[in-house]
Amino acid sequence: MITLLTGMLATAVLAGGVLALAALGEVLAERVGVTNLGVEGLMALGAVTAVMTVSSVSSPWVGLLVAGLVGAAGGMVFAFGAVVMRANQVLCGLATTFMGLGLSTALGHNYAGQPVTTTFGHVSVPVLSSIPVIGPALFGQNILIVPIYVLLPALVHFVMFRTRHGLNMRAVGENPAAADAAGIPVMAMRFWYVTLGGAMAGLAGGYLTLTYVPVWSEGMVAGRGWIALALVIFAGYRPVIVTLSALLFGLVTALSFVGQAHNWPIDPAFLNMLPYLGTMAFIIVPVVVWHRMRRVMAAPAALAQPYYRDVR
Amino acid sequence: MAARAFQRLPSAPAGRILVLRLAAIVLSLFIIAGVLALSGHSPVTLAELILRSTLGSRFGLEDLALFMCPLLLTGAAVTVCGTIGLWNIGAEGQFYAGAIAATGVALGLHGPAVVLLPIMTIAGILGGMAWITVPTLARAYAGVNEIITTLLLNFIASLLTYYLTTGPWRDRISGAQVSTQRLPVAIPEMWGIVHWGFPVAIVIVVGLALVLSRTRWGYEIRIGGANPEAARYAGIPVRLRIISVMLLSGALAGLAGMFEVAGTVHRLQGGMANNFGYLGIVVAVLARGSCLNVIPAALLMALILDSGIVMQTQQLSASVVLAITGLILFMIAIGDELAHYRPVASTTPKGKAS
Repeated sequence: MITLLTGMLATAVLAGGVLALAALGEVLAERVGVTNLGVEGLMALGAVTAVMTVSSVSSPWVGLLVAGLVGAAGGMVFAFGAVVMRANQVLCGLATTFMGLGLSTALGHNYAGQPVTTTFGHVSVPVLSSIPVIGPALFGQNILIVPIYVLLPALVHFVMFRTRHGLNMRAVGENPAAADAAGIPVMAMRFWYVTLGGAMAGLAGGYLTLTYVPVWSEGMVAGRGWIALALVIFAGYRPVIVTLSALLFGLVTALSFVGQAHNWPIDPAFLNMLPYLGTMAFIIVPVVVWHRMRRVMAAPAALAQPYYRDVR
Repeated sequence: MAARAFQRLPSAPAGRILVLRLAAIVLSLFIIAGVLALSGHSPVTLAELILRSTLGSRFGLEDLALFMCPLLLTGAAVTVCGTIGLWNIGAEGQFYAGAIAATGVALGLHGPAVVLLPIMTIAGILGGMAWITVPTLARAYAGVNEIITTLLLNFIASLLTYYLTTGPWRDRISGAQVSTQRLPVAIPEMWGIVHWGFPVAIVIVVGLALVLSRTRWGYEIRIGGANPEAARYAGIPVRLRIISVMLLSGALAGLAGMFEVAGTVHRLQGGMANNFGYLGIVVAVLARGSCLNVIPAALLMALILDSGIVMQTQQLSASVVLAITGLILFMIAIGDELAHYRPVASTTPKGKAS
């Protein structure tokens, strides 16, 4: 039982980390009022470029860096359309996903199916990793787990809710006209946070192929970008809650793994549906059960609305 | 203050949209040609090859019609949803659901095609509607974002298809992988390999255009999309309209799946939806909310898919088509926004005699 629980939590932490990174990036973009539906495509690009990089440079850090840079570049392309040109955000996002998925498959053609040998290896933090159940999961896997689950969300939370800059940032997402009148550079704010969100989607893709699933194949992102988008809504656009829900979500994924490993009498296809069914339940059940949730977890008021200075 | 040289109009004139879209497509083609040239393919020979094997040959034209058929229906599915201001990103899943339901009927019942085909059609429609039911109710009664819920169901439908075609419904006769056996009935063909689903799809799209523009229901849908508050104030039951529109949207996508399985592929296969659901979004965007425009939009999209076949023969992976579609969609999104701007006669500073 203990080994089962330990194994499940370890898988959950790994699987959830991918989502946590991507979803935290999307929180940044949505808090300044931009929905980036391109996360799925940017993750695919990050995943494939990380694999391509480590096949010639044997350092996972360089692979992760390249994945992040590629994600940032993709985020900039999206931001050019959705923020600078003020085109429809849903369309630009879908277009980014199409481009990302198509390009990543074309780029990764020669790398498909080959196991990645350069990955983030196991790191055991001396005392902490011997804590039963949670120790091996949190401190006995790879070096990125603590940054992803603790440092980054804490940093984003602090900046967003405890600094003047964070207040400005939220103002841009709630009421860009007022923010503009107060002298906050709305466009620059949106552009750079969307780019940062794209970089984190790229990192999430790189993290996917450098730790959790060390092989590139077409369609391997498998909707994780969309799940990350759903988590952002579920978590009410809050950085700490989004990270926790990514972990919760990782548990759902781990459940399907455990089921397959222990030969539960359920077809793997149905176990593989669990993450998607779980996400559906995550975003529907809370609003139905607890009506006040809709107000408490409301989206930024100017979400998905382009800002025109001269049109009121 | 310097005078602004451009003014943003609340809605863009159709002429400007057309011009800017052509510019967007031409620019996309130049970018694609540049990338192809850099990767060692000759864009000119490729373009010639594409033109010859799509519009310039009987087979190319037949393929074009076969590609158009599902795109017309999924494009219409996304368009009707868009009329009331909602995005159905789940046409892919509803397509699978329709295909699964129709296949279930074909494999489970026995009888002449005259009897089976109508039942399969109804099953396909109901399958598509069933697949969008949960997102519909969640949207109408709890305000849950339909983009995410409809999309997540695509993955579930795809996994379900995979399960059926490798498990209970796998091909036991010829042993084809991830596929059912050949269905006992098929939609009759009318021109080469083009089946009767194609003209039916066109009739449906035209009929929808009439319903949306000429009936009370269509009017209420359009008002509900343009201004939900005003619609509610005017006594239009917006919630019921949302439900009916979303179910109709699912029905259209389900029908697309039925046509594809009974007319084109003749088997239920894993991956058979072939992105038709997602490309339906592109078609709907190109159509700008008008069902009649879905026809030329589906034609353009079918042309792109048809050229994808040629590219595959030239050692370019099929995924390139998806990237190209994305690029064109991106450029068109920008072009549509730019079409809102009208150059204003540059206002010379006051007091300066002209």
